[in-house]
Amino acid sequence: MNNTAQRLADVVSMPARSVGTQAATAATDTVRHLRNWTTNEVDDWGRDDSFVRRVWSLSHVRWDTSVGGIEHVPKRTGALIVVNARRFALAPVFAAMAIGAAVDRPVRFVGRPDIAPLGPMMQRLGGLLPVEAELEGALRAGELIVLGASPTRTNLHTGVIDHQLVGSAVAAKVRVLPAATMSVPLQRNARVEIGAPIRLRHKRRGPLEELETADHLQAHINAVLDEMAGTMTGTPIDWFPNSWVGRI
Amino acid sequence: MGGELGSRVASLLENESWVGSIEGIDADPPRRRLRRTVFHRIVPGQHERTVKVVTDYNPHVVVHIAVWEPHARAATGTARSLTDDAATSILGAAAECRALESIVVRSGIEIYGRGRGSVTRPSEQVAPNPTSEYGRMVACIEDTANAIGKRIGVSVGSLRLATVLGPHVPSALGRLLRLPAVPFSMLANPPFAVIHQHDAAEAFVSAARQRIDEPLNIVAPGAITALQAIRRGQRIPIPLLGPEWGAATAFTYLAGAPLPDHVREMLHRGRLADNARAREVIGFAPSTTTSDVIDQLYRWPSVVHTPAIKQVA
Repeated sequence: MNNTAQRLADVVSMPARSVGTQAATAATDTVRHLRNWTTNEVDDWGRDDSFVRRVWSLSHVRWDTSVGGIEHVPKRTGALIVVNARRFALAPVFAAMAIGAAVDRPVRFVGRPDIAPLGPMMQRLGGLLPVEAELEGALRAGELIVLGASPTRTNLHTGVIDHQLVGSAVAAKVRVLPAATMSVPLQRNARVEIGAPIRLRHKRRGPLEELETADHLQAHINAVLDEMAGTMTGTPIDWFPNSWVGRI
Repeated sequence: MGGELGSRVASLLENESWVGSIEGIDADPPRRRLRRTVFHRIVPGQHERTVKVVTDYNPHVVVHIAVWEPHARAATGTARSLTDDAATSILGAAAECRALESIVVRSGIEIYGRGRGSVTRPSEQVAPNPTSEYGRMVACIEDTANAIGKRIGVSVGSLRLATVLGPHVPSALGRLLRLPAVPFSMLANPPFAVIHQHDAAEAFVSAARQRIDEPLNIVAPGAITALQAIRRGQRIPIPLLGPEWGAATAFTYLAGAPLPDHVREMLHRGRLADNARAREVIGFAPSTTTSDVIDQLYRWPSVVHTPAIKQVA
């Protein structure tokens, strides 16, 4: 009798048994993932590549990001990519991950706080402190860095770009690239459009170089955003011009 | 040259063609067989004897490695006084030597400090701002050596080493990581870098050969967090939030692995440094990565069987 029951149980998987097996498998997988994750290495700047990949995969649930102009990004040397940022959109973080995935190189971003637990977590994602010496060191080491302009309410124009942080790229003698980021809260699509490197008409010896570079960056990003005509929500609220519910 | 690092440096210097004679001073005898090095056993406090030995020898290059990391071989207070005594006697005596051309001193990346807003991976251009006792000790050595170098007109180079780890190297961090259960900061868990003892020794030899005249960071490539290190060593990680660190420090002290402030700082704030300049100036690139150093630390055998150089039976 026992043998018959056993044989029957082997052939017919009862729902409870199936759920139990699946739960056990899921738990085992989770433990294995956690084990793998905690034994990962971080790079010289504390960026955890596998953590970045996980967050990037997770972000696909919400965003469908496309990147244009990657031919302007250097393949080996360092470069500073300056992006516009909409408030609360974490544009530098997602732009860094999107560009990193497109060019298959680690890309870092500026603007992690120096307070736990947020600071160390953002360091795992590739965050750098907004300190000139930190940027300069990373750029000299051949890293790609995304710097966000000061956040704005809409995607219509970019905010002020910190010329002192841009100065670290000037000191490190690396390319400075403008990039426009566009994302809409009510849609999945997001876009990062990288422009050609900024070249000043007049070579400057002093601090005017970073000031003028920052101004050129701002003008270039604004021009790209104008071409996009601002991003619309795709809903009737776009019909309200120049209001906070209109273009975002 | 009694410690692991000093003995290794002496042994490497013996193989250098540009090195004539070598003499060394330490409180402990050398850990390895040295063929043409003359060793003087002098306790750091014996100032007159140190001065006599150094001035009689009249060296061209002085490599000063006598730095006691707190709780590596001595408690913090003792380490501070031994380090001060050794620096004062040896660097002071070296200043009296007419033949002296170059001084190379051991320092540490703890010199940069880890205050709020400090650079994550400082290069040598970042101004020192030590925030731990060990950081202040090495800053003091650098200041003393630089003052002497300026006064007598010789080049002074300092090697700012990351935490020196490896088999048989006494280290507060090494002892902590080898405990069966290791505390770490759950909220921060920041990355840090270390350097293998052999790489550190090679850096000293390269620096002495090149007669460097600037500080250089000597750091292994890569970084690791405390949790990752604990997991690699298959130890039990004990996540701590903050207030319980006091109890954890007392517990590790009782377990034989005291936590000095620079190690505690590292576990909370991390410790990295930019090593690009060392490659440019002395062509030095460490061969062991940070994670490999950690792996070697955990593979530390309790008994080492050294084969005989000549079999007699």
